[in-house]
Amino acid sequence: MINNPGLAILFMAFVSVLLGYFGVPVAFSMMAGVFLTVVLFTHISLASMVGQLFNGINTLNLLAVPFFLLVGELMLTSNITIRLINLAQALVGHFRSGLAQVVSVFSLFFAGISGSSTADVVAISTVLMPEMKREGYDPAFTAALVAAAATIANMVPPSILAIVYGSVGNVSIGGLFLGGATPGVMVALGLMIYSYFFGPVGIQKSRMSLGQVAIAVKRAALPLVIPVIIVGGILTGQFTPVEAGAVALVYVIFVVLPILNRGHFRVLAYDFILAGALYALPITAVAAASAFGWVLAFLRGPDVVAGWVQHVSGDNGTKILFLIVVILTIVGDFLEGIPAIIIFMPLFLVLQKLGHLQPVHMGVCIIVTLAFGNITPPYGLALLLSSSLAGVPWPRALRASFPLYIVFFTIIAIIIFFPDVVLWLPRWLFPQSLGCFPSPTGHGLICPPV
Amino acid sequence: MHEPEPELHIEVVSRSARHLKWRALDPLERVLMWISGICLLGFTLSELGDVFFRIILHPWLNAQEFAITFFIWGAFLGGATAVRRDTHFKISAVVEKMQGRRRTFFEVLRRVVMLIVAVILVYQGYINYLSGFGSFMTPSGKPIAILYASIPVAGALIFIFVVEQLVNGFRNGYAPPQQAGRETAAILAEQALERGI
Repeated sequence: MINNPGLAILFMAFVSVLLGYFGVPVAFSMMAGVFLTVVLFTHISLASMVGQLFNGINTLNLLAVPFFLLVGELMLTSNITIRLINLAQALVGHFRSGLAQVVSVFSLFFAGISGSSTADVVAISTVLMPEMKREGYDPAFTAALVAAAATIANMVPPSILAIVYGSVGNVSIGGLFLGGATPGVMVALGLMIYSYFFGPVGIQKSRMSLGQVAIAVKRAALPLVIPVIIVGGILTGQFTPVEAGAVALVYVIFVVLPILNRGHFRVLAYDFILAGALYALPITAVAAASAFGWVLAFLRGPDVVAGWVQHVSGDNGTKILFLIVVILTIVGDFLEGIPAIIIFMPLFLVLQKLGHLQPVHMGVCIIVTLAFGNITPPYGLALLLSSSLAGVPWPRALRASFPLYIVFFTIIAIIIFFPDVVLWLPRWLFPQSLGCFPSPTGHGLICPPV
Repeated sequence: MHEPEPELHIEVVSRSARHLKWRALDPLERVLMWISGICLLGFTLSELGDVFFRIILHPWLNAQEFAITFFIWGAFLGGATAVRRDTHFKISAVVEKMQGRRRTFFEVLRRVVMLIVAVILVYQGYINYLSGFGSFMTPSGKPIAILYASIPVAGALIFIFVVEQLVNGFRNGYAPPQQAGRETAAILAEQALERGI
């Protein structure tokens, strides 16, 4: 019955994209594409496809997603994020384009707590955008910068993209967390440098005294412990990523909230209800995308694409990675990061073998590229959201974000061509995540060749 | 920076697109939202219990089973609830910009697609549910049908919510009054804010 797998793949992709374009939710458009393709082109039963929806989410690692969403939600709704903003203000607020610097540094702090770029945009928009407007920052610049800085949440721990990538691709989540930290910091630094030289001057503020900085650090200390719990727990082997998320949640509920905002307990149940409904959205997309990816693999799509890639780049790992980034930059414009990872994972695995790529390195390159998709047209969600919150037309915000693309292109090129930029931290702190194990002689580690 | 007073949001039932909803189904949405919250609480406690009992060297063997059961039921029920709240991920708001018959056509098409998917989830999910009595979870030995049952239930709920929107859309029109003349970007951003991530 499968005379032409290529045609079946094209049909499935076309139906899904077309329905998605006409406003059918992504999860449903993918399910419709899968069901129709299975009926028309294969002998697979629909029941097994529905079972595949279930299998796609029957993975313990995905439990980490709701925990980190809830931690971010609690930080946001309980107004504790303001302490992180004040700390960023104390550290870099006196630089040229001070508030723009604060946006970048705050995003780095908040990214270490929430893992969601949209939560980051909302957190900055409610507090910093009005201040930036008062200081005369161009709203289009503000929207572009906020959106670009918010993408850091997709890179640094506890990045939800890293959790999904690790779960589906069987790659160490701890390794992806650590590997993504350096590109995340590089994006923050890149945005700071850009703002310093090309951003609006803003109102020059005096440098805060050491005492004032110490007070800001003290006030922000409790929320800043959260990333330490998450990363520390995983690295020391005390917790899995899922358990780290649960422990971080307990820390917020039993330590952070009672000390910093006791009044928030009145609406804690509401936070649980909202986060309970919220986590279903990415997870439903995961379920549909896993069925889509399964059919794609059944139709030997990854092998076909891998053949094309091999034709262009041979088995050169760097060239293959570069091609993946180009493909994902285009795909990421139309597809959210989570479904993109799941749909293309079978292809990534084939290409990883073909190019002898280090899984953590490859995963981080893919995650950073997909994070970049949050600010590219036509549907970069972070930019859509920030332009709306800044009250600036989307095309203007988009134009203002073009120079920031250079920051991302530069960082993506660096991490592709210099894998050690990604791998030094996991190799140093968590070598097991790279497949290394202690040498039987008791000295050093034995690592797989890459 | 000043610390603004925290706002209290205690509305569990979504206020968006009221013209497409029956008030009679509001209690169902409220119950489903509460169940989602309880599922989240359930697998949080299961995970914590797992860590706690492992630390005191008395492992709770069923902890992960409990966690995954709450997780899967919460995900599918939450996915169904999101249909009524219209918070699922979308990649386009092109239809929201349309007016008149054209808009009606695409709004109906969108929901017919969802309706067909819902019917498949109910029927084929039920077949899976029945076959699930032949497979068992470890270590409890309970049939995996307990988990599979979430799919046809979610499918049935999606069916109800889509029919609700279809009927009310024919009666009251699909376009909410506040959307007229707005930018696509603003509509998409509003949808992203509504769903929260």
